[in-house]
Amino acid sequence: MSGDALVALAERGLAHARGEALVTVTHERSLLSRFARSRPTQATDVDELAVEVTCVRDGRLATAGAVGIDDVALRDAAGRAAAAAEAAARAGPGSYPGLPGPDHDYRPHDGWDPDTAELDPRRAGAALQAAFAVAADAGAEAFGTWTAGAVRTAIAASTGLHGVDGLTDAYAKTICRDDRGRSGFAAAASTRAADMDMRSLAEGAAARLRPAEEPAELPPGDYDVVLDADAVGALLEFLGLLAFNGLAHAEGRGALAGRLGTRVAAAGVNLADSPRLARTLPRAFDAEGVAKAPRPLIQDGVALNVVHDIASAAVAGGGARSTGHALAPGGGLSGPVPTNLVLAGGGAASVEELAAPIERGIYVTRLWYVNAVDPKHTVLTGMTRDGTFLIEDGRIARPLRDVRFTDSVLRLLDGTEALGAHPRLVTEGEFYGRRFASGVLCPPLRARGWRVTGATPGGA
Amino acid sequence: MLDVLVETVDRAVGRCDYADARRVVRARERLATRNGEVETAAVEESDGVGVRVRVGGAWGFASSSDPGPAGAQDALRRALAVAESQPAVAPTPLAPAPPARGHWQGPCERDPFAIPVERKLELLLSADAALRGDPRIVRTQARCLSLRTTTAFASTDGGACTQTRTECGGGILAAAVEADELQVRSWPGEHDGGVAGAGWEQVEALRLVEEAPRVAEEAIALLAAPDCPAGVRTVVLHGEQVGLQLHESIGHALELDRILGGELSYAGGSWVGPGDLGSLRYGSEALGVTADATLPGGLGSFGWDDEGVPGQRLELIRSGRLLGALSSRESAGAVGLDSSGGCARADGHSRQAIVRMTNVSLDPGDAGSLADLVADTDDGLYLETNRSWSIDDRRLHFQFATEVAREIRSGELGRLYRNPSYAGITPRFWGGLDAVCGGDEWRLWGLLNCGKGEPGQVMHVSHGTAPARFRDVQVGVAG
Repeated sequence: MSGDALVALAERGLAHARGEALVTVTHERSLLSRFARSRPTQATDVDELAVEVTCVRDGRLATAGAVGIDDVALRDAAGRAAAAAEAAARAGPGSYPGLPGPDHDYRPHDGWDPDTAELDPRRAGAALQAAFAVAADAGAEAFGTWTAGAVRTAIAASTGLHGVDGLTDAYAKTICRDDRGRSGFAAAASTRAADMDMRSLAEGAAARLRPAEEPAELPPGDYDVVLDADAVGALLEFLGLLAFNGLAHAEGRGALAGRLGTRVAAAGVNLADSPRLARTLPRAFDAEGVAKAPRPLIQDGVALNVVHDIASAAVAGGGARSTGHALAPGGGLSGPVPTNLVLAGGGAASVEELAAPIERGIYVTRLWYVNAVDPKHTVLTGMTRDGTFLIEDGRIARPLRDVRFTDSVLRLLDGTEALGAHPRLVTEGEFYGRRFASGVLCPPLRARGWRVTGATPGGA
Repeated sequence: MLDVLVETVDRAVGRCDYADARRVVRARERLATRNGEVETAAVEESDGVGVRVRVGGAWGFASSSDPGPAGAQDALRRALAVAESQPAVAPTPLAPAPPARGHWQGPCERDPFAIPVERKLELLLSADAALRGDPRIVRTQARCLSLRTTTAFASTDGGACTQTRTECGGGILAAAVEADELQVRSWPGEHDGGVAGAGWEQVEALRLVEEAPRVAEEAIALLAAPDCPAGVRTVVLHGEQVGLQLHESIGHALELDRILGGELSYAGGSWVGPGDLGSLRYGSEALGVTADATLPGGLGSFGWDDEGVPGQRLELIRSGRLLGALSSRESAGAVGLDSSGGCARADGHSRQAIVRMTNVSLDPGDAGSLADLVADTDDGLYLETNRSWSIDDRRLHFQFATEVAREIRSGELGRLYRNPSYAGITPRFWGGLDAVCGGDEWRLWGLLNCGKGEPGQVMHVSHGTAPARFRDVQVGVAG
């Protein structure tokens, strides 16, 4: 559906809602093809239209989804949302200040690529063929994913607010695995499917198989590390949840509670949420209709801000306002998080240059199954995957078995000595539930003393 | 519901080698309080259709939020288009399955959707209030979930069946902060362990209001507790933590698509190889594991899986020896099995069925009650309620943390420790299993956040467990 048609549908839904209400219409079209052992294993085409009505009563919100888009379905959803909000309000008035008014500056962005929005499945087939060919030349098998999506979101609220936003996204990854079980990884993400060069990605993945030695096992300890961009992005995504969530911060659970305005990272670390920056996955507004805007989070190593939705800003008080980071109307239990993190680049031309000063350390391609151990101190654990190497005498040398780390992200950023010059958009491309493409624009980095706490035994 | 689906797969005949169509109607109500206020009231409903086809060796799947004839036919057209766009490969055999026919309905004594929202909120607010009082409690939370899913399925193999499942449950949580320390205590756990294939009776059985003061007191007590000392210890795990340990290091490792490399692009592979089935020693003699989709109350229970294979009980491990794996028709066919294990499940109408757990459970043992097991332990730690989990992409090297630990000294529970964690290697860890509590301690724990597949799918599963004892476990992190 066109953006105008989605707005019209949102306004038609709003006409069925009594009192303060917000209607959100989302239309997702997407393709995703998977492959394993150089064979296609799955090809998915999603076309989903969803309408949600949120009603506000005495500071309480309730949301209901419509089953269908005819007037009966819209009226039913509006009625269910109103009834639930009124039931919640009867339990006592709430603290939600109300939906935003009509005066929002939705900046246009270049996140909609008409070519990508065509969603041609033959493009996926050609990408898979390219990966299979490169893997065969390398004596390996190819595994991976190619996906592209086009998602439009329209909103209309009883406050007079209305708008429409569109984002196309594309993501591709390849893992090449040899007959010894060793694997290499490469991935790319963009708003444009034409940017996904699967041949180049497969060549990059296959190149990580080249050192011929058997992987060595590294004992636990602290190691200087070069984290490639995918690994950095995975850590920063968690940092976004643990440190910059305005609700957790206001409740005293956040990692930066009492630390804003203090140095939390090395002076070269500059982190922001930048929803309009080129090469991110840009957005015009959040789930409550508040305009997205850049927000500095760490500047020259000093923690500056957290992010808010309307509810978390109300909890924080002191004049705090939504910064456009709601993931759902009303914010939800989890609270707001930054979805367009950007870590500024440094001066290192390559990961090889980053590794050069390290006498003995680790180069990590990517991380896997990262999870919080101690959220207040941003301590995470996780494994490396698909390409972990020993750095010896300044050179990325022999492969290592995958290692487990257990360390604080903020400590790692405090120990960051150098950053790559070329930030890259990285994402896990998971797309649970409704497609919401997000990623981190970040460079590789070098840091001191990364805490390794275990290793996978033989065969990796 | 079936007419449109049957018509759709009939239209597919001659255009592909196989087709199935599913319609999924969902109603989900989520209610939650935070710090004494109603935080979430969401009443979500969805309806749609997913069509899967096989052209040569390539699958195609397409979904539509329009479950009518037009939406289903458009989904069939798009499924064929994406299948035909894939590189051509030779087909692999699908394990045969008898045509699924009939209707299946899961248990539900008290319809949760018939209980007024006000009454549910009253319960949650009461539980939330019982968590509060100490100013160090900065966050309280009470929640409940009601979910009803009706599925219709038809296939070119003659399948035409419907089923309805109801899921219900809830939980509470208290977070306490003092100085730079944050401690969280929950009941029955943050992974929605209190959700079951049941009606509102499940929420009432959880006694959220009655449990709340204990939960809050333990969160406060943890603030002043010493950190759990590191070392190689004997560990007794509470049933909820045994459930997650089982989920991560046995359930996922025995998914046959992972074993065959089919999930390497995302969820990873397995340390188990296809040739290990029937021979590998997975753990000690005390280890017995089943996957049972016929268990009453299980979130992984159903009449048929999402490719029309009947729900069944599979013996996966007996006396520590690996016997079988979780399979779909395609993965079973790939290793020459006579039939699928009935483990192909999809997250709603817009996702393709993939190999998932059903109710993967640890057999009860003969160690009696938890009190008996503690009394039988001279020196160790008792760990309860998961708070962190991580495992490598072959399901071999894991690290878990729990909310609390208690010292076990001379058969008695002693001092409280905070921030406990433990790590291990899957076969070594299960090799250290030397006692499992008996049937009276065995119960199902729900788990609602099992992620797998691309695009991502979240699956609801249950794990039947009893508290269990493990020897020589690395407690705390090395390095």
